[in-house]
Amino acid sequence: MSRLPGVPTPASSPEAPPAADAAAPGRRPRGAGLPLVTVLIVAAVLLRPVLTGLLGHPAIANWATVFVAITIQALPFLVLGVAVSATIAAFVPPGLIARLLPKRPALAVPAAAVAGAALPGCECGSVPVAARLVSIGVTPAAAFAFLLSAPAINPVVLVSTAVAFPGRPAMVVARFVASLAASVAMGLLWIVLGRDDLITPQRSHRTEDGPRLTVFLATAQHDFLQAGGFLVIGAGTAATLQTLVPRRIVDSVAGTGPLSLLALGVLAVVVALCSEADAFVAAGLKQFSLTARLAFLVVGPMVDVKLFALQAGTFGTRFAWRFSLATFAVAVTCAGLVGWWLL
Amino acid sequence: MTEDARATTVLLVGAMMVRLALTGAYAKYVRTGMGGVLLAAGILLVCLGLVGVARALGFGPKTGDTRGHDHAHGDRAGWLLLGPVLALLLVTPPALGSFGVGRSAAVDVSSGGRTFDPLPAGRTMPMTLLEFDDRAADHGGASFGATPVRLTGFVTPANDPTGFRIARYQIACCAADAVAAVVHVTGTTGNPPVRDQWVTLTGTFQRSADGVPELRATSFTEVPAPHDPYE
Repeated sequence: MSRLPGVPTPASSPEAPPAADAAAPGRRPRGAGLPLVTVLIVAAVLLRPVLTGLLGHPAIANWATVFVAITIQALPFLVLGVAVSATIAAFVPPGLIARLLPKRPALAVPAAAVAGAALPGCECGSVPVAARLVSIGVTPAAAFAFLLSAPAINPVVLVSTAVAFPGRPAMVVARFVASLAASVAMGLLWIVLGRDDLITPQRSHRTEDGPRLTVFLATAQHDFLQAGGFLVIGAGTAATLQTLVPRRIVDSVAGTGPLSLLALGVLAVVVALCSEADAFVAAGLKQFSLTARLAFLVVGPMVDVKLFALQAGTFGTRFAWRFSLATFAVAVTCAGLVGWWLL
Repeated sequence: MTEDARATTVLLVGAMMVRLALTGAYAKYVRTGMGGVLLAAGILLVCLGLVGVARALGFGPKTGDTRGHDHAHGDRAGWLLLGPVLALLLVTPPALGSFGVGRSAAVDVSSGGRTFDPLPAGRTMPMTLLEFDDRAADHGGASFGATPVRLTGFVTPANDPTGFRIARYQIACCAADAVAAVVHVTGTTGNPPVRDQWVTLTGTFQRSADGVPELRATSFTEVPAPHDPYE
């Protein structure tokens, strides 16, 4: 696989393989991977009594359960996102999506943000798709608007929000408006302040001109492993925070005012809930104002520890820090304004 | 990662998901409705892994992507996916237990301010802990009448002067978003069951002062953990 230098321009995307990579039959002896997997499994089997003993501690058992749960829950969505990403790489003509979006980035951003409604799923699935969009030449600002809006405004999430807040349709409208506004604002902010050199160059398959099925399979495998590996890091972090920091700690924060917005925003980052489930948790945070709970719902799908790991793995750590902090500030602000207006 | 390592990892993750879906063990981690989705995603991954293994072994055209060098980061992270695979293969983390009951957010009782119809008299009503708590919050538990109810949950430690507490988690998506419904059990004699033991109780609702709904139990039996430990 080749790493491609230029992110922004469509022209620089697909066919620029480092030639050396293509020819030589590899430095590492082929077949080194399979024995390594086997060794790992044998070692783990030998360690089994130790692991079983560890699970006797309630805290460690709790950690393991939450870790596995977050991973298992996210994997189907990741598969969906990877399938979409690989389909774009293999079957959508290069440049088509970029041509479909408005030429001017300032118009492409809202268009991409609205298009996010078409990807049903939670936040793990949208990262590989956004990365693919960048790699095929969509302006990064539009891809990031899509990345942020997709997990928050798709129909599945909106319906689950309506179910969690029965008799309060304003909550669904507010979530949609605030999430869309925050996504567009972040896209526009990237146009003004963003530097494309912050983004790790996105690989694109140099076999793009090979048989389409081969491209599809190779892209799917690569994207799944890359995103999946970082999902595991994110799930481990979220499980650690959930086990160490009791959720009850938020009870000590006052229920109204700007501080409560920040508190629930931070809670959303720490607990890293699936965007299809967070509304049910928000419904239970009754001691907080609706606006503060809106902040929880707007921040969660855009910034959380699991998503940070995925973004850092895909776009680079330097990018992920700046992007996550800015997104957090924008999301809390949008939630505050929309909550003040609608709720 | 080399091509065969990548293919093997994808295959193992897919096999793990298929196994979880088919054995029903996934219910410990995610809501029961996700079984079909897990199975479908797992099958897709198994196919993807098998094709990759076949290619790595020399069948079919090359992906052109066979060498393991030149993957500065990203690809290497794929190894981490073996973590959950091995965890599930070897030790099977248990369903959430009493550890998190006092730490999770309180369950959302009386969501939407429901008013319940009275329970029919003359027979024992099986009920979730959530419904018990919801009914208890509705007009001081008026809908219970004198009808006995049957509850199933696990024992969770507390500092009550009498009786013990049982709990059961509600999950919306996966175990990470679990919140617990808790019921205080009184009226039993002898030592309370040990922590995390599942019990089925029959009894009647009692008004309580401390906000935790109370069940005056007439009988209780220890039971094995249910297939779906969440409500």
